[in-house]
Amino acid sequence: MPVRDNDACSPTRRKTPHNSTQIVTETSGATTMSGTDTDIEMPESSTSGMSRRQHLAETFESYRAELDSDNERREKLIILSRSITQLSKKLIFHLHRGATSLGPAKEKTLQEGRKKEREIWVNFGKVRDELRVGRVGAGAGDGDEKDERAGREAFWRWNRQVSPGLEEYIEGLSFLWYLEHGTLIPLEEVQRTLSDESGEPLVVVTPEDYILGMSDLTGELMRYATNALSTGDHETPLAVCEFVRTVKAHFDGISPQMLYKLSKKQEETQRSLEKIEKVCYALRLRLIEFADRPEILAQMAKRALEDAADKDSGGGGRGEE
Amino acid sequence: MSSDLATPAPATSRAESVSSTLSSVIELLENEQNLKKQIRESVEPIEDLSRAAITELNKLHSAPFAQHAQICENAIQTIIKTQPLWINVASLIPQGEFYRYQFALGPAMRNLTTSLVLARFILHDELTPAFTVANLIGVQHTGTEALQLSAEDYLQGVIGAVNELPRLSINAVTSQNFALPVKIAAFVNDIFASYSLLNLRNDALRRKFDSLKYDVKRCEDVLYDLTLRGLAPAPQ
Repeated sequence: MPVRDNDACSPTRRKTPHNSTQIVTETSGATTMSGTDTDIEMPESSTSGMSRRQHLAETFESYRAELDSDNERREKLIILSRSITQLSKKLIFHLHRGATSLGPAKEKTLQEGRKKEREIWVNFGKVRDELRVGRVGAGAGDGDEKDERAGREAFWRWNRQVSPGLEEYIEGLSFLWYLEHGTLIPLEEVQRTLSDESGEPLVVVTPEDYILGMSDLTGELMRYATNALSTGDHETPLAVCEFVRTVKAHFDGISPQMLYKLSKKQEETQRSLEKIEKVCYALRLRLIEFADRPEILAQMAKRALEDAADKDSGGGGRGEE
Repeated sequence: MSSDLATPAPATSRAESVSSTLSSVIELLENEQNLKKQIRESVEPIEDLSRAAITELNKLHSAPFAQHAQICENAIQTIIKTQPLWINVASLIPQGEFYRYQFALGPAMRNLTTSLVLARFILHDELTPAFTVANLIGVQHTGTEALQLSAEDYLQGVIGAVNELPRLSINAVTSQNFALPVKIAAFVNDIFASYSLLNLRNDALRRKFDSLKYDVKRCEDVLYDLTLRGLAPAPQ
Protein backbone atom coordinates (compact mmCIF):
# COMPACT_ATOMS: atom_id res chain seq x y z
CA MET A 1 0.00 0.00 0.00
CA PRO A 2 2.71 2.59 0.81
CA VAL A 3 3.97 2.02 -2.74
CA ARG A 4 1.26 4.29 -3.97
CA ASP A 5 2.94 7.28 -2.49
CA ASN A 6 5.62 6.97 -5.09
CA ASP A 7 3.04 7.33 -7.79
CA ALA A 8 2.73 10.92 -6.81
CA CYS A 9 6.04 11.54 -8.48
CA SER A 10 5.09 9.83 -11.69
CA PRO A 11 4.59 12.16 -14.62
CA THR A 12 0.95 11.30 -14.82
CA ARG A 13 -0.54 14.25 -12.93
CA ARG A 14 -3.28 13.27 -10.48
CA LYS A 15 -2.84 14.56 -7.06
CA THR A 16 -5.04 16.12 -4.60
CA PRO A 17 -5.43 19.82 -5.10
CA HIS A 18 -3.54 20.98 -2.05
CA ASN A 19 -0.07 20.09 -3.24
CA SER A 20 -0.58 20.14 -6.94
CA THR A 21 1.79 22.99 -7.57
CA GLN A 22 4.63 21.08 -6.05
CA ILE A 23 3.95 18.09 -8.25
CA VAL A 24 3.59 20.04 -11.43
CA THR A 25 6.90 21.73 -10.95
CA GLU A 26 8.53 18.46 -10.04
CA THR A 27 7.39 16.56 -13.04
CA SER A 28 7.00 19.04 -15.78
CA GLY A 29 9.99 21.18 -14.90
CA ALA A 30 10.48 22.65 -18.31
CA THR A 31 6.86 23.33 -19.07
CA THR A 32 5.89 26.79 -18.04
CA MET A 33 2.86 27.18 -15.91
CA SER A 34 1.61 29.97 -18.09
CA GLY A 35 0.82 27.35 -20.66
CA THR A 36 1.84 29.39 -23.66
CA ASP A 37 3.02 27.23 -26.45
CA THR A 38 6.42 28.80 -26.89
CA ASP A 39 8.39 26.17 -25.07
CA ILE A 40 6.13 23.20 -25.23
CA GLU A 41 8.86 21.19 -26.90
CA MET A 42 10.99 21.26 -23.80
CA PRO A 43 9.81 18.15 -21.97
CA GLU A 44 10.60 15.93 -24.94
CA SER A 45 13.97 17.42 -25.68
CA SER A 46 15.19 16.50 -22.22
CA THR A 47 14.85 12.84 -23.11
CA SER A 48 16.55 12.91 -26.47
CA GLY A 49 19.01 10.24 -25.35
CA MET A 50 16.35 7.55 -25.41
CA SER A 51 14.38 6.15 -28.28
CA ARG A 52 10.80 7.23 -28.35
CA ARG A 53 9.57 3.77 -27.65
CA GLN A 54 11.75 3.40 -24.56
CA HIS A 55 10.63 6.76 -23.36
CA LEU A 56 6.99 5.86 -23.89
CA ALA A 57 7.44 2.56 -22.13
CA GLU A 58 8.64 4.42 -19.06
CA THR A 59 5.73 6.81 -19.16
CA PHE A 60 3.24 4.04 -19.67
CA GLU A 61 4.63 2.09 -16.77
CA SER A 62 3.50 4.84 -14.50
CA TYR A 63 0.08 4.83 -16.16
CA ARG A 64 -0.01 1.11 -15.65
CA ALA A 65 0.86 1.44 -11.98
CA GLU A 66 -1.95 3.90 -11.61
CA LEU A 67 -4.53 1.83 -13.45
CA ASP A 68 -3.48 -1.25 -11.50
CA SER A 69 -3.86 0.40 -8.15
CA ASP A 70 -7.21 1.83 -9.23
CA ASN A 71 -8.39 -1.61 -10.26
CA GLU A 72 -7.23 -3.12 -7.02
CA ARG A 73 -9.15 -0.53 -5.07
CA ARG A 74 -12.22 -0.95 -7.23
CA GLU A 75 -12.25 -4.70 -6.56
CA LYS A 76 -11.91 -4.21 -2.81
CA LEU A 77 -14.74 -1.71 -2.72
CA ILE A 78 -17.01 -3.91 -4.80
CA ILE A 79 -16.41 -6.76 -2.37
CA LEU A 80 -17.16 -4.53 0.62
CA SER A 81 -20.25 -3.17 -1.07
CA ARG A 82 -21.47 -6.69 -1.74
CA SER A 83 -21.02 -7.79 1.82
CA ILE A 84 -22.86 -4.67 2.97
CA THR A 85 -25.70 -5.62 0.65
CA GLN A 86 -25.78 -9.16 2.04
CA LEU A 87 -25.76 -8.02 5.65
CA SER A 88 -28.47 -5.46 4.92
CA LYS A 89 -30.69 -8.09 3.38
CA LYS A 90 -30.17 -10.23 6.47
CA LEU A 91 -31.16 -7.30 8.64
CA ILE A 92 -34.35 -6.83 6.64
CA PHE A 93 -35.26 -10.53 6.85
CA HIS A 94 -34.57 -10.47 10.55
CA LEU A 95 -36.89 -7.51 11.01
CA HIS A 96 -39.66 -9.15 9.00
CA ARG A 97 -39.45 -12.25 11.17
CA GLY A 98 -39.98 -10.38 14.40
CA ALA A 99 -41.77 -7.21 13.39
CA THR A 100 -45.27 -8.49 13.97
CA SER A 101 -44.59 -9.94 17.39
CA LEU A 102 -45.68 -7.97 20.41
CA GLY A 103 -44.20 -6.46 23.53
CA PRO A 104 -40.82 -7.76 24.69
CA ALA A 105 -40.42 -10.05 21.68
CA LYS A 106 -40.65 -7.11 19.32
CA GLU A 107 -38.36 -5.13 21.58
CA LYS A 108 -35.79 -7.89 21.32
CA THR A 109 -36.11 -8.02 17.55
CA LEU A 110 -35.43 -4.32 17.31
CA GLN A 111 -32.45 -4.53 19.65
CA GLU A 112 -30.94 -7.32 17.63
CA GLY A 113 -31.69 -5.28 14.54
CA ARG A 114 -29.63 -2.44 15.95
CA LYS A 115 -26.81 -4.85 16.64
CA LYS A 116 -26.90 -6.02 13.05
CA GLU A 117 -26.97 -2.44 11.87
CA ARG A 118 -23.75 -1.79 13.80
CA GLU A 119 -22.13 -4.79 12.10
CA ILE A 120 -22.85 -3.18 8.75
CA TRP A 121 -21.57 0.09 10.11
CA VAL A 122 -18.21 -1.55 10.74
CA ASN A 123 -18.06 -2.40 7.04
CA PHE A 124 -18.66 1.22 6.12
CA GLY A 125 -15.70 2.00 8.33
CA LYS A 126 -13.65 -0.34 6.15
CA VAL A 127 -14.92 1.45 3.07
CA ARG A 128 -13.79 4.73 4.53
CA ASP A 129 -10.36 3.31 5.36
CA GLU A 130 -10.01 1.89 1.88
CA LEU A 131 -10.84 5.25 0.38
CA ARG A 132 -8.23 6.95 2.53
CA VAL A 133 -5.39 4.53 2.02
CA GLY A 134 -2.32 5.96 0.29
CA ARG A 135 -4.25 8.43 -1.74
CA VAL A 136 -1.76 9.58 -4.33
CA GLY A 137 -0.39 12.94 -3.36
CA ALA A 138 -0.76 12.41 0.35
CA GLY A 139 2.95 11.62 0.47
CA ALA A 140 4.17 14.60 2.48
CA GLY A 141 2.71 14.25 6.04
CA ASP A 142 -0.55 12.57 6.28
CA GLY A 143 -2.36 15.02 8.48
CA ASP A 144 -5.89 14.18 9.46
CA GLU A 145 -7.20 17.06 7.46
CA LYS A 146 -5.42 15.88 4.35
CA ASP A 147 -6.80 12.41 4.90
CA GLU A 148 -10.19 13.92 5.19
CA ARG A 149 -10.00 15.74 1.89
CA ALA A 150 -8.34 12.87 0.11
CA GLY A 151 -11.01 10.55 1.42
CA ARG A 152 -13.70 12.90 0.22
CA GLU A 153 -12.21 13.09 -3.24
CA ALA A 154 -11.80 9.33 -3.37
CA PHE A 155 -15.33 8.86 -2.14
CA TRP A 156 -16.78 10.60 -5.16
CA ARG A 157 -14.42 8.82 -7.45
CA TRP A 158 -15.56 5.42 -6.20
CA ASN A 159 -19.14 6.30 -5.48
CA ARG A 160 -20.48 3.96 -8.12
CA GLN A 161 -18.80 0.98 -6.47
CA VAL A 162 -20.09 1.90 -3.02
CA SER A 163 -23.63 3.03 -3.72
CA PRO A 164 -25.36 -0.34 -4.34
CA GLY A 165 -24.50 -1.47 -0.81
CA LEU A 166 -25.32 1.93 0.57
CA GLU A 167 -28.81 1.87 -0.94
CA GLU A 168 -29.54 -1.54 0.52
CA TYR A 169 -28.28 -0.38 3.89
CA ILE A 170 -30.50 2.70 3.83
CA GLU A 171 -33.44 0.48 3.04
CA GLY A 172 -32.68 -1.72 6.05
CA LEU A 173 -31.98 1.18 8.36
CA SER A 174 -35.16 3.02 7.37
CA PHE A 175 -37.22 -0.12 7.95
CA LEU A 176 -35.69 -0.52 11.37
CA TRP A 177 -36.42 3.14 12.09
CA TYR A 178 -39.98 2.78 10.92
CA LEU A 179 -40.54 -0.14 13.28
CA GLU A 180 -38.98 1.82 16.12
CA HIS A 181 -40.66 5.16 15.53
CA GLY A 182 -43.48 4.65 13.06
CA THR A 183 -42.10 7.43 10.88
CA LEU A 184 -39.76 8.15 8.04
CA ILE A 185 -36.11 8.41 8.97
CA PRO A 186 -34.79 11.84 7.98
CA LEU A 187 -31.76 12.10 5.72
CA GLU A 188 -29.78 13.81 8.49
CA GLU A 189 -30.46 10.85 10.74
CA VAL A 190 -29.17 8.41 8.11
CA GLN A 191 -26.02 10.49 7.79
CA ARG A 192 -25.64 10.70 11.56
CA THR A 193 -25.92 6.93 11.84
CA LEU A 194 -23.30 6.53 9.13
CA SER A 195 -20.76 8.70 10.91
CA ASP A 196 -17.89 7.81 13.20
CA GLU A 197 -17.68 8.56 16.91
CA SER A 198 -16.56 12.13 16.27
CA GLY A 199 -19.44 12.79 13.91
CA GLU A 200 -17.42 12.58 10.67
CA PRO A 201 -19.32 10.83 7.89
CA LEU A 202 -17.95 7.40 6.98
CA VAL A 203 -19.51 7.81 3.58
CA VAL A 204 -21.61 10.65 2.23
CA VAL A 205 -25.30 9.94 1.87
CA THR A 206 -26.71 11.92 -1.05
CA PRO A 207 -30.35 12.82 -1.54
CA GLU A 208 -30.32 10.36 -4.43
CA ASP A 209 -29.17 7.47 -2.28
CA TYR A 210 -31.75 8.40 0.31
CA ILE A 211 -34.64 8.69 -2.11
CA LEU A 212 -33.82 5.41 -3.83
CA GLY A 213 -33.55 3.74 -0.42
CA MET A 214 -36.94 5.10 0.61
CA SER A 215 -38.43 3.85 -2.61
CA ASP A 216 -37.25 0.35 -1.70
CA LEU A 217 -38.61 0.79 1.80
CA THR A 218 -42.15 0.95 0.43
CA GLY A 219 -41.82 -2.64 -0.80
CA GLU A 220 -40.69 -3.82 2.63
CA LEU A 221 -43.54 -2.00 4.29
CA MET A 222 -46.05 -3.66 2.00
CA ARG A 223 -44.73 -7.03 3.14
CA TYR A 224 -44.78 -5.86 6.74
CA ALA A 225 -48.37 -4.66 6.44
CA THR A 226 -49.63 -7.93 5.02
CA ASN A 227 -47.74 -9.92 7.65
CA ALA A 228 -49.24 -7.75 10.36
CA LEU A 229 -52.70 -8.34 8.98
CA SER A 230 -52.37 -12.08 9.34
CA THR A 231 -51.72 -11.65 13.06
CA GLY A 232 -54.93 -9.65 13.42
CA ASP A 233 -53.22 -6.28 13.62
CA HIS A 234 -55.54 -3.83 11.87
CA GLU A 235 -53.74 -0.62 12.68
CA THR A 236 -50.52 -1.38 10.86
CA PRO A 237 -51.94 -1.91 7.35
CA LEU A 238 -53.91 1.33 7.55
CA ALA A 239 -50.92 3.29 8.83
CA VAL A 240 -48.56 1.77 6.26
CA CYS A 241 -51.03 2.47 3.49
CA GLU A 242 -51.14 6.13 4.43
CA PHE A 243 -47.37 6.25 4.70
CA VAL A 244 -46.62 4.63 1.36
CA ARG A 245 -49.20 6.81 -0.33
CA THR A 246 -47.48 9.94 0.96
CA VAL A 247 -44.07 8.72 -0.15
CA LYS A 248 -45.31 7.81 -3.60
CA ALA A 249 -47.10 11.12 -4.02
CA HIS A 250 -43.91 13.03 -3.26
CA PHE A 251 -41.78 10.89 -5.52
CA ASP A 252 -44.24 11.34 -8.37
CA GLY A 253 -43.19 14.97 -8.31
CA ILE A 254 -39.58 14.12 -9.16
CA SER A 255 -38.95 14.30 -12.88
CA PRO A 256 -37.34 11.27 -14.52
CA GLN A 257 -34.50 13.43 -15.87
CA MET A 258 -33.60 14.26 -12.32
CA LEU A 259 -33.42 10.71 -11.09
CA TYR A 260 -33.90 8.14 -13.79
CA LYS A 261 -33.52 5.14 -11.53
CA LEU A 262 -36.44 6.31 -9.44
CA SER A 263 -38.94 6.29 -12.30
CA LYS A 264 -38.46 2.55 -12.63
CA LYS A 265 -38.77 2.01 -8.91
CA GLN A 266 -41.94 4.05 -8.82
CA GLU A 267 -43.70 1.37 -10.87
CA GLU A 268 -42.82 -1.13 -8.18
CA THR A 269 -44.04 1.25 -5.49
CA GLN A 270 -47.29 1.67 -7.38
CA ARG A 271 -47.84 -2.10 -7.35
CA SER A 272 -47.01 -2.32 -3.65
CA LEU A 273 -49.39 0.48 -2.88
CA GLU A 274 -52.23 -1.10 -4.82
CA LYS A 275 -51.76 -4.32 -2.90
CA ILE A 276 -51.87 -2.53 0.42
CA GLU A 277 -54.91 -0.55 -0.65
CA LYS A 278 -56.79 -3.70 -1.56
CA VAL A 279 -55.95 -5.22 1.79
CA CYS A 280 -57.14 -2.07 3.52
CA TYR A 281 -60.34 -2.05 1.53
CA ALA A 282 -61.22 -5.59 2.59
CA LEU A 283 -60.10 -4.83 6.10
CA ARG A 284 -62.29 -1.75 6.40
CA LEU A 285 -65.41 -3.56 5.19
CA ARG A 286 -64.90 -6.41 7.62
CA LEU A 287 -64.08 -4.09 10.47
CA ILE A 288 -67.49 -2.53 9.98
CA GLU A 289 -69.23 -5.84 9.48
CA PHE A 290 -67.70 -7.82 12.34
CA ALA A 291 -66.72 -5.07 14.72
CA ASP A 292 -67.81 -7.16 17.71
CA ARG A 293 -66.23 -10.51 16.74
CA PRO A 294 -62.44 -10.24 16.57
CA GLU A 295 -61.78 -13.96 15.91
CA ILE A 296 -63.77 -13.85 12.68
CA LEU A 297 -61.99 -10.69 11.73
CA ALA A 298 -58.63 -12.39 11.99
CA GLN A 299 -59.80 -15.22 9.77
CA MET A 300 -61.24 -12.88 7.20
CA ALA A 301 -58.08 -10.88 7.12
CA LYS A 302 -56.09 -14.00 6.48
CA ARG A 303 -58.25 -14.86 3.53
CA ALA A 304 -57.94 -11.37 2.09
CA LEU A 305 -54.22 -11.76 2.36
CA GLU A 306 -54.23 -15.07 0.54
CA ASP A 307 -56.33 -13.52 -2.19
CA ALA A 308 -53.77 -10.81 -2.64
CA ALA A 309 -50.97 -13.36 -2.72
CA ASP A 310 -52.82 -15.46 -5.32
CA LYS A 311 -53.30 -12.53 -7.59
CA ASP A 312 -49.67 -11.69 -7.16
CA SER A 313 -48.45 -15.07 -8.33
CA GLY A 314 -51.19 -15.50 -10.91
CA GLY A 315 -49.42 -13.02 -13.18
CA GLY A 316 -52.68 -11.69 -14.64
CA GLY A 317 -53.86 -15.18 -15.64
CA ARG A 318 -56.95 -15.10 -13.50
CA GLY A 319 -58.91 -11.92 -13.48
CA GLU A 320 -61.97 -13.02 -11.59
CA GLU A 321 -62.57 -11.43 -8.21
CA MET B 1 -38.09 15.08 13.98
CA SER B 2 -38.92 13.73 17.39
CA SER B 3 -37.60 10.31 18.19
CA ASP B 4 -40.03 9.38 20.93
CA LEU B 5 -43.02 8.46 18.85
CA ALA B 6 -43.11 5.00 20.35
CA THR B 7 -46.72 5.63 21.14
CA PRO B 8 -48.12 6.06 17.64
CA ALA B 9 -48.76 9.67 16.81
CA PRO B 10 -52.06 10.61 15.23
CA ALA B 11 -52.08 9.68 11.56
CA THR B 12 -52.29 13.26 10.36
CA SER B 13 -49.22 14.50 12.23
CA ARG B 14 -47.30 11.45 11.08
CA ALA B 15 -48.17 12.13 7.47
CA GLU B 16 -47.11 15.73 7.93
CA SER B 17 -43.72 14.80 9.29
CA VAL B 18 -43.22 12.37 6.40
CA SER B 19 -44.20 15.14 4.01
CA SER B 20 -41.82 17.69 5.40
CA THR B 21 -38.96 15.20 5.50
CA LEU B 22 -39.50 14.28 1.87
CA SER B 23 -39.99 17.84 0.73
CA SER B 24 -36.68 18.92 2.19
CA VAL B 25 -34.86 16.00 0.59
CA ILE B 26 -36.42 16.68 -2.80
CA GLU B 27 -35.35 20.27 -2.48
CA LEU B 28 -31.78 19.11 -1.89
CA LEU B 29 -32.04 16.90 -4.93
CA GLU B 30 -33.24 19.81 -7.01
CA ASN B 31 -30.35 21.97 -5.85
CA GLU B 32 -27.94 19.28 -6.87
CA GLN B 33 -29.56 18.94 -10.25
CA ASN B 34 -29.30 22.67 -10.76
CA LEU B 35 -25.62 22.57 -9.96
CA LYS B 36 -25.12 19.73 -12.42
CA LYS B 37 -26.91 21.75 -15.03
CA GLN B 38 -24.79 24.80 -14.29
CA ILE B 39 -21.62 22.77 -14.58
CA ARG B 40 -22.74 21.26 -17.86
CA GLU B 41 -23.47 24.73 -19.17
CA SER B 42 -20.11 26.01 -18.03
CA VAL B 43 -18.43 23.34 -20.15
CA GLU B 44 -20.34 24.29 -23.29
CA PRO B 45 -18.10 27.19 -24.37
CA ILE B 46 -15.13 24.85 -23.89
CA GLU B 47 -16.76 22.31 -26.13
CA ASP B 48 -17.33 25.03 -28.71
CA LEU B 49 -13.61 25.80 -28.75
CA SER B 50 -12.83 22.11 -28.81
CA ARG B 51 -14.97 21.70 -31.92
CA ALA B 52 -13.27 24.72 -33.49
CA ALA B 53 -9.91 23.00 -32.92
CA ILE B 54 -11.19 19.80 -34.50
CA THR B 55 -12.49 21.75 -37.48
CA GLU B 56 -9.08 23.34 -37.88
CA LEU B 57 -7.31 19.98 -37.64
CA ASN B 58 -9.62 18.54 -40.26
CA LYS B 59 -7.81 20.75 -42.73
CA LEU B 60 -4.77 18.52 -42.34
CA HIS B 61 -6.43 16.04 -44.66
CA SER B 62 -6.67 18.44 -47.57
CA ALA B 63 -4.16 21.24 -47.03
CA PRO B 64 -0.69 21.12 -48.58
CA PHE B 65 2.01 19.81 -46.29
CA ALA B 66 3.58 23.25 -46.01
CA GLN B 67 0.50 24.46 -44.10
CA HIS B 68 0.39 21.60 -41.59
CA ALA B 69 2.47 23.33 -38.96
CA GLN B 70 0.36 26.45 -39.11
CA ILE B 71 -2.87 24.46 -38.85
CA CYS B 72 -1.59 22.66 -35.78
CA GLU B 73 -0.40 25.89 -34.18
CA ASN B 74 -3.83 27.38 -34.77
CA ALA B 75 -5.54 24.39 -33.18
CA ILE B 76 -3.26 24.55 -30.15
CA GLN B 77 -3.88 28.28 -29.78
CA THR B 78 -7.62 27.62 -29.88
CA ILE B 79 -7.28 24.99 -27.16
CA ILE B 80 -5.22 27.32 -24.99
CA LYS B 81 -8.16 29.69 -25.08
CA THR B 82 -10.08 27.20 -22.95
CA GLN B 83 -7.75 27.89 -20.01
CA PRO B 84 -9.72 30.79 -18.49
CA LEU B 85 -12.97 28.92 -19.09
CA TRP B 86 -11.85 26.02 -16.92
CA ILE B 87 -11.42 28.43 -14.03
CA ASN B 88 -15.10 29.13 -14.30
CA VAL B 89 -15.89 25.41 -14.32
CA ALA B 90 -13.63 24.77 -11.33
CA SER B 91 -15.29 27.52 -9.32
CA LEU B 92 -18.62 25.68 -9.53
CA ILE B 93 -17.31 22.40 -8.16
CA PRO B 94 -17.55 21.97 -4.39
CA GLN B 95 -14.25 21.08 -2.80
CA GLY B 96 -13.27 17.46 -3.17
CA GLU B 97 -16.21 16.65 -5.44
CA PHE B 98 -14.46 16.69 -8.80
CA TYR B 99 -15.25 13.07 -9.52
CA ARG B 100 -18.88 13.63 -8.72
CA TYR B 101 -19.13 15.87 -11.76
CA GLN B 102 -16.48 14.24 -13.88
CA PHE B 103 -19.13 12.75 -16.14
CA ALA B 104 -19.81 16.29 -17.37
CA LEU B 105 -16.14 17.21 -17.81
CA GLY B 106 -14.54 13.99 -19.03
CA PRO B 107 -15.78 14.10 -22.63
CA ALA B 108 -14.48 17.64 -23.13
CA MET B 109 -11.12 16.70 -21.64
CA ARG B 110 -10.87 13.64 -23.86
CA ASN B 111 -11.64 15.65 -26.99
CA LEU B 112 -9.12 18.32 -26.10
CA THR B 113 -6.55 15.62 -25.44
CA THR B 114 -7.26 14.11 -28.86
CA SER B 115 -6.73 17.42 -30.64
CA LEU B 116 -3.61 18.33 -28.70
CA VAL B 117 -2.01 14.95 -29.17
CA LEU B 118 -2.74 15.00 -32.88
CA ALA B 119 -1.45 18.55 -33.40
CA ARG B 120 1.66 18.00 -31.36
CA PHE B 121 2.42 14.74 -33.11
CA ILE B 122 2.43 16.57 -36.45
CA LEU B 123 4.57 19.35 -35.01
CA HIS B 124 7.03 17.40 -32.88
CA ASP B 125 6.62 13.74 -33.80
CA GLU B 126 6.00 12.96 -30.12
CA LEU B 127 3.28 11.69 -27.86
CA THR B 128 2.36 14.55 -25.57
CA PRO B 129 2.46 13.28 -21.98
CA ALA B 130 -0.55 13.66 -19.72
CA PHE B 131 0.92 16.41 -17.57
CA THR B 132 1.68 18.52 -20.64
CA VAL B 133 -1.85 18.03 -21.90
CA ALA B 134 -3.21 19.04 -18.50
CA ASN B 135 -0.93 22.04 -18.51
CA LEU B 136 -1.95 23.23 -21.96
CA ILE B 137 -5.64 22.77 -21.26
CA GLY B 138 -5.16 24.78 -18.11
CA VAL B 139 -6.09 22.11 -15.61
CA GLN B 140 -4.18 22.26 -12.33
CA HIS B 141 -3.32 25.91 -12.77
CA THR B 142 -4.09 28.57 -10.21
CA GLY B 143 -7.85 28.50 -9.90
CA THR B 144 -8.26 25.08 -11.48
CA GLU B 145 -6.53 22.95 -8.84
CA ALA B 146 -9.78 21.11 -8.34
CA LEU B 147 -9.75 19.74 -11.88
CA GLN B 148 -7.88 16.68 -12.98
CA LEU B 149 -7.14 15.02 -16.25
CA SER B 150 -7.63 11.40 -15.22
CA ALA B 151 -5.43 8.66 -16.67
CA GLU B 152 -8.54 7.14 -18.14
CA ASP B 153 -9.54 10.33 -19.97
CA TYR B 154 -6.02 10.97 -21.18
CA LEU B 155 -5.51 7.43 -22.44
CA GLN B 156 -8.84 7.48 -24.25
CA GLY B 157 -8.08 10.86 -25.75
CA VAL B 158 -4.75 9.61 -27.12
CA ILE B 159 -6.47 6.73 -28.87
CA GLY B 160 -8.89 9.23 -30.36
CA ALA B 161 -5.92 10.94 -31.99
CA VAL B 162 -4.52 7.66 -33.27
CA ASN B 163 -7.90 6.79 -34.78
CA GLU B 164 -7.52 9.85 -36.97
CA LEU B 165 -4.12 8.86 -38.35
CA PRO B 166 -4.90 6.09 -40.87
CA ARG B 167 -7.07 8.54 -42.78
CA LEU B 168 -4.36 11.15 -42.65
CA SER B 169 -1.87 8.59 -43.93
CA ILE B 170 -4.04 7.70 -46.92
CA ASN B 171 -4.74 11.33 -47.75
CA ALA B 172 -1.06 12.17 -47.52
CA VAL B 173 -0.37 9.64 -50.27
CA THR B 174 -3.08 11.19 -52.41
CA SER B 175 -1.37 14.55 -52.13
CA GLN B 176 1.99 12.88 -52.80
CA ASN B 177 3.41 13.37 -49.37
CA PHE B 178 5.24 10.07 -48.94
CA ALA B 179 7.14 10.94 -45.78
CA LEU B 180 4.12 11.43 -43.55
CA PRO B 181 2.80 7.85 -43.81
CA VAL B 182 6.17 6.56 -42.65
CA LYS B 183 6.17 8.91 -39.70
CA ILE B 184 2.59 7.97 -38.88
CA ALA B 185 3.18 4.22 -39.05
CA ALA B 186 6.15 4.45 -36.70
CA PHE B 187 4.17 6.56 -34.25
CA VAL B 188 1.09 4.35 -34.28
CA ASN B 189 3.27 1.31 -33.75
CA ASP B 190 4.97 2.90 -30.76
CA ILE B 191 1.65 3.84 -29.25
CA PHE B 192 0.27 0.36 -29.76
CA ALA B 193 3.32 -1.15 -28.08
CA SER B 194 2.92 1.26 -25.17
CA TYR B 195 -0.75 0.48 -24.62
CA SER B 196 0.09 -3.20 -24.67
CA LEU B 197 1.97 -2.59 -21.43
CA LEU B 198 -1.26 -1.72 -19.63
CA ASN B 199 -3.41 -4.23 -17.79
CA LEU B 200 -6.79 -3.19 -19.06
CA ARG B 201 -10.09 -4.23 -17.60
CA ASN B 202 -12.99 -5.09 -19.79
CA ASP B 203 -14.19 -1.52 -20.03
CA ALA B 204 -14.44 1.41 -22.41
CA LEU B 205 -10.69 1.92 -22.52
CA ARG B 206 -10.21 -1.71 -23.40
CA ARG B 207 -12.60 -1.43 -26.33
CA LYS B 208 -10.82 1.68 -27.51
CA PHE B 209 -7.55 -0.18 -27.27
CA ASP B 210 -8.97 -2.98 -29.39
CA SER B 211 -9.60 -0.44 -32.14
CA LEU B 212 -5.88 0.41 -32.17
CA LYS B 213 -4.78 -2.73 -33.92
CA TYR B 214 -6.93 -1.91 -36.94
CA ASP B 215 -5.30 1.50 -37.08
CA VAL B 216 -1.88 -0.13 -36.97
CA LYS B 217 -2.86 -2.40 -39.82
CA ARG B 218 -4.27 0.36 -42.01
CA CYS B 219 -1.17 2.49 -41.50
CA GLU B 220 1.09 -0.44 -42.35
CA ASP B 221 -0.93 -1.23 -45.44
CA VAL B 222 -0.25 2.25 -46.73
CA LEU B 223 3.42 1.78 -45.98
CA TYR B 224 3.40 -1.51 -47.85
CA ASP B 225 1.84 0.09 -50.91
CA LEU B 226 4.50 2.79 -50.90
CA THR B 227 7.40 0.41 -50.39
CA LEU B 228 6.15 -1.88 -53.12
CA ARG B 229 6.27 1.00 -55.57
CA GLY B 230 9.54 2.36 -54.30
CA LEU B 231 7.82 5.51 -53.11
CA ALA B 232 8.71 5.36 -49.43
CA PRO B 233 11.61 7.66 -48.56
CA ALA B 234 14.76 5.84 -47.52
CA PRO B 235 15.11 5.61 -43.75
CA GLN B 236 17.61 8.11 -42.37
